[in-house]
Amino acid sequence: MEAVFKRELQSYFKSPVAYCIIAFFGVLTGLYFWNINLYNQSIEFTMTLGSLTTFLIFFIPVITMKLFSEDRKNGTEVLLRTAPIPTWKIVLGKYLASVVVFTCMCVETMVCPIIMTFYINDGGVFPLAMTVGGYVAFFLLGLAYLSVGAFASSVTDSQPIAAVLGVIILIGITFIETIGQTVKGVFGQILVWLSLSSRYDDFSSGVFNVSSLIYYLSFTAVVLFITITNIERKRWS
Amino acid sequence: MIEIRNLVKNYGRVTALDDVSFDVNKGSILGFLGPNGAGKSTAMNIITGYMAPTSGDITVNGIDAVEKSLEARKMIGYLPELPPLYGEMTVTEYLNFICDLKGVPQRKRKNMLSDIMFIVNIVDVRNRLVRNLSKGYRQRVGFAQALVGEPPILILDEPTVGLDPGQVIEFRKIITTLGREKTIILSTHILQEVTAVCSDVVIINHGKVARAGALSEFTASVPGEKRYVLTFDTSDKGAAENILRSSSWIKSYSFSRTERNSLIYRISADSRSEGIRELFFAAAQAGIALLEIKAVEKSLEEEFVSIITKDAQEGA
Repeated sequence: MEAVFKRELQSYFKSPVAYCIIAFFGVLTGLYFWNINLYNQSIEFTMTLGSLTTFLIFFIPVITMKLFSEDRKNGTEVLLRTAPIPTWKIVLGKYLASVVVFTCMCVETMVCPIIMTFYINDGGVFPLAMTVGGYVAFFLLGLAYLSVGAFASSVTDSQPIAAVLGVIILIGITFIETIGQTVKGVFGQILVWLSLSSRYDDFSSGVFNVSSLIYYLSFTAVVLFITITNIERKRWS
Repeated sequence: MIEIRNLVKNYGRVTALDDVSFDVNKGSILGFLGPNGAGKSTAMNIITGYMAPTSGDITVNGIDAVEKSLEARKMIGYLPELPPLYGEMTVTEYLNFICDLKGVPQRKRKNMLSDIMFIVNIVDVRNRLVRNLSKGYRQRVGFAQALVGEPPILILDEPTVGLDPGQVIEFRKIITTLGREKTIILSTHILQEVTAVCSDVVIINHGKVARAGALSEFTASVPGEKRYVLTFDTSDKGAAENILRSSSWIKSYSFSRTERNSLIYRISADSRSEGIRELFFAAAQAGIALLEIKAVEKSLEEEFVSIITKDAQEGA
């Protein structure tokens, strides 16, 4: 697994893709930080993070698009799948490499709340718990999105198709909450319960909800499991 | 070393392999022959664990390669038709990654990699990016990858396709050298290659084993029968054929071609060697000199073509 992880990570940072994504995301963060926290003088950085989650829908499939489709395209899939390592290690290694790229994106945004702590005056208090909660939610949501992106990449040998497919699935997932709210009865409640976005607000309002934490992690695990099965299935088809 | 029993692989409704069985003996170099689309790559993909068979058993070095695929994979080095390379890595980085992948311990690596790079002759490109290498060098790096971890079995899928003649000869030499200690399956559709390096042959056609055996069985003539090419110093066909007909030794003859006033015939005869003497004197009596008597061995090519065409006729 370390081998796959290491190679995948190197390939991210040897090409300009990862740097471009991280830099562009930094620019967007700066714009929203300026608009929400500086211009409108809000102390809640979680609002900025909340706005950025919309962009994750587009950024994350671009990060994950190459994970499996690239190997299928240039024939290196044979190498990985005839090596003496099980499929789940390949999937996990690649997934973790994409997590590192996403972590870099998270870390660079931390500049903003740090700046804010310097300029709080008149006895104001920086809402630390809320900000930390916001980051936990942002990161967990990112993990779940990355797993979806990884799955999309395992479906096709074309990187652009993997990216588009990832965006479409993620948009679908974000609409689950809206659909759930309009549908009456138990079914609607189930949809709201299942949606990733409804759970996001718990964290960003500073409430540490264990069930939501478990939900995000289980969602990620299930999607990764489906990805593994999808790759294994090719062995038998 | 490798036992394949009743292997079947269906892709949906298409049958790629239909009840294929053969053995690969330890230390042999098996030529795996067949026209394009015969099922060679499918068979190799199954042996290496890339695919699972629809039914059938494969045993690699005593290990069930379907049930215990991961263990079996450790025994096998595989060079697929398209070498599986990462362009953005240097050759050394790439081979180190393969070591990681195959779990080669750190302390063994340095010696192993320098040996491998020496064998396939890539020492001078070791710090170059794989994507900048020529086709021949890429193929070598792919070959090096298969050798990492010192697997006792090598499976090479058309390793010399696209190489220049010098490189082809070099590759064959490498394969022959490695064949002294390893068991090798060499898939190819170049018949000379098989004659040059292989000890055993399996011919596969339409997903079935058409013939399998030692290379010598393919090239040897039918028992009790020998074949010759005769050159008569005459342009008179009737006279030459009179001589051929008069000999009880000759079983059949066929006219081949005319070459500078002499006639060339192919004959098949029984294995009595005094037959040649009789024919010689019969020709002398008729006043025609026999310029050349050449024994010919049956070639693998003839066998291959006859199997392929026979199948095609039966299919039609």
